[in-house]
Amino acid sequence: MARKVAEWIGRLGEVWVEGQIAQLSRRGAATVFLTLRDPAADLSVPVTCSRDVADRPGLELTEGARVIVRARPDYYIARGSFSLRATEIRAVGLGELLARIERIRRLLAAEGLFDAARKRPLPFAPAVVGVVTGRDSAAERDVLVTARRRWPAIRFAVHHSLVQGPSAAASVIEGLQRLDRDPEVEVIVVARGGGSVEDLLPFSDEGLVRAVAACRTPVVTAVGHETDTTLVDHAADVRAATPTDAAHRVVPEIGEQRRLVDGLRARARHLVGARLEQQERWLESVRSRPALADPQRLLHGRADDVEQLRTRARRTLVHRLEGAERDLEHARARVAALSPAATLQRGYAVVQRADGSLVREPGEVADDERLSVRVAGGRLPVRVTREDG
Amino acid sequence: MTVSAKPDEQPTTTYEQAREELADVVRRLEAGGLTLEESLALWERGEQLAELCQHWLDRARERLAAATSGDQPE
Repeated sequence: MARKVAEWIGRLGEVWVEGQIAQLSRRGAATVFLTLRDPAADLSVPVTCSRDVADRPGLELTEGARVIVRARPDYYIARGSFSLRATEIRAVGLGELLARIERIRRLLAAEGLFDAARKRPLPFAPAVVGVVTGRDSAAERDVLVTARRRWPAIRFAVHHSLVQGPSAAASVIEGLQRLDRDPEVEVIVVARGGGSVEDLLPFSDEGLVRAVAACRTPVVTAVGHETDTTLVDHAADVRAATPTDAAHRVVPEIGEQRRLVDGLRARARHLVGARLEQQERWLESVRSRPALADPQRLLHGRADDVEQLRTRARRTLVHRLEGAERDLEHARARVAALSPAATLQRGYAVVQRADGSLVREPGEVADDERLSVRVAGGRLPVRVTREDG
Repeated sequence: MTVSAKPDEQPTTTYEQAREELADVVRRLEAGGLTLEESLALWERGEQLAELCQHWLDRARERLAAATSGDQPE
């Protein structure tokens, strides 16, 4: 059966395979063994080739190098293992690499993964900062030290990942997804120091870039030197120039915030104080107005009026009284003058008939009529008897 | 509109209302042409309002001082 398999595989013919050299060993005298890995598909395959193929001038095979291999599928009956028999290996050149990155960039850009609208604002003061970086790397130190200095209360969730070589991308993706799932982590920093295009290649890996775009937690990338851009930078919510810069963007500086808050508080207090003072001055001015401050003024003004009125009243009263007395005098005099009493006094008498009417003509009176004669001293009832006279 | 509460109770009138009315009272007192009874009543009203405003401002001053004294020394 093994022979049948070997025959069948033998008939597959030649194929070009592209990938990254994961392992390389030159133990064997004549043959070179290496493992070729496709980071995006997370596959790897053993490749064998003769020494001269491996040592072709101008081709330096190193681990992590991207190569294109022309090979024939081979089934090694003795150990029942499948491998590729390489007849030619060509390094993937830098230009080729950059072209490949550009192709991926255009593809992902077309899908809208890099659109500005997708960018999310960073939380102001995150409780936990997720960090995906190389173990004990300078990048890790920069991010952690800087962030702690700015905001001592900050907590980190660090995921150490490979930051170079064929399985770096997968390792970073794993870290990214784990931190993204953690609800406490409010922002994720992907930090890596500088490196060559090859070194930074994993950070332009399509799978990793998609993972960054898919993150629900905002992502800050600080990969390579300021001048390097990798595709993850496009997918990230914020691209920091350096790991230190990433710390600055992710965490506010406590002293600065305190100064800001104190400043605002002082200004608020000043404003309230000023407003209060203004109101106090206003109240003082109102209270000092004569209308309020000096009610007596109201009263004594009135008092004078009253005084004047009183004197005037009195004066008019006096006049009036005097006038009244004079009138009385006159009236009395006139009464006296008109009153019959004086006439009677002078000896005259008034004769009245029974009905009180006065007798002026003897003819008015009948004989024997009762009359009343009024003299000064009083009244005299009389009867009329006429005598010839 | 009169102030139903004495200054020491929780005044039901806002500071602005009291201040507006006080200004009005002073204006009317100064304009004159009032009976003695009206002037007296108005004057009393003015005093009451002034007292109320004073009360408000004093309390505000206390609250401000309290907030300020609450600071820890820098």
